[in-house]
Amino acid sequence: MIGFLLDGLIAAGLVGLAYQAVTSRSLFRGIIHFVVFGLTMALAWARVGAPDLAMAEAAIGAGLTGALMLVAYRRLVEDRRDAPVDPGPAKSRLALPIAIGSGLLVGVIGLSALFSDVEPGQAGQAVLADLQQVDLGNPITGVLLLYRGIDTLLEVAVLLTAFLAARALAGSESGTGSPTTQGPETPMVGALLAVVIPLTVLVSVHLLRAGSYEPGGAFQAGAVLAGAGVLLILSGRIAAAETAGLLVRMGLLAGLVSFILIGLTPLLHGGPLLALPGLWAVYFIETAMMVSIAITLVLLFAGGGGLKRGKHG
Amino acid sequence: MVDLALPGIALFLLLNLLAGMLRVYRGPTLADRMLAALLFSTTTVAVLLILAEWMEQPALRNVALLFVMLASIISLAFVGLPGREDLEDGEQ
Repeated sequence: MIGFLLDGLIAAGLVGLAYQAVTSRSLFRGIIHFVVFGLTMALAWARVGAPDLAMAEAAIGAGLTGALMLVAYRRLVEDRRDAPVDPGPAKSRLALPIAIGSGLLVGVIGLSALFSDVEPGQAGQAVLADLQQVDLGNPITGVLLLYRGIDTLLEVAVLLTAFLAARALAGSESGTGSPTTQGPETPMVGALLAVVIPLTVLVSVHLLRAGSYEPGGAFQAGAVLAGAGVLLILSGRIAAAETAGLLVRMGLLAGLVSFILIGLTPLLHGGPLLALPGLWAVYFIETAMMVSIAITLVLLFAGGGGLKRGKHG
Repeated sequence: MVDLALPGIALFLLLNLLAGMLRVYRGPTLADRMLAALLFSTTTVAVLLILAEWMEQPALRNVALLFVMLASIISLAFVGLPGREDLEDGEQ
């Protein structure tokens, strides 16, 4: 009963927040509603028993995207200091029918999902059957690396492609202004960083290690590690550079390259492609992927091709 | 009784969240909205810790840990925003 009430409150809050985030006339209000929406969404994922998704939603949906929006908002305000207030886009006559139509669509899909018995996927069944053998406690990591390795490999490749595409679009204009929000004189920032950065690194390593026996893993850990990088950028400790140094390049490619190399080795002695040779390979690839994901996210946030020491570094 | 205590506390905290949501909605200043959002993440941490106990999902504690890390990013991104209220809350 109380559980039902909880879920109802969360669901109602989500709808209200989403509406506010989209329709707010002031940008800042929309951004804050978006961030709070992300946090509530994470709570909803937690309620349906999906901590992995809750972590990803909180880290990327609320944290990094929220910070990115706040930085963009700051730029907008600085650029248009004397511009008149933008009245926002005109109302469209199509908006209401589209909203009703998509609402109905989502409702139908949700209802049919409720009333149909879906068999768990083959990879899920297989990994639950021999989880003990492979010595991994977390079925999700098992599926991601042992049974659906090709999908995970492609995801890492997509992330790299996204970064390259962003670089191509940004062109040579980027790297001129790092999204630094703090002057060197802002009090307490140094103390905050001294506490939070080591803790963030600790938490991301904890999440990575936890990924082998409970929810967590490379993506969540990488997102948290990227959070540390974003903090350093915001406080001007590191800044976007035009080109990447050797270390950054190695970090960017580490996940993809190590996954491909370890995935190719079984072919040498006649095994199937991507059959990982043991638990150490899982840990190795996850660690490399964590570094790559973190560096990609930080570079995307900084809007540059590389990183250098910032002006308050 | 103990069975009811944990979900009851979670519900109470969630109602607190709703009150915070009202503050995010009403404002009136940027800092009000921001502080409400930060309060939101703190309370969510509490809700997650209680849910972890109640739903017997210890992994939710890791989610709570992650929330704490994120609050610092959002607050650092906010501090030092040029406080142009007139550009902001034109509707109020």
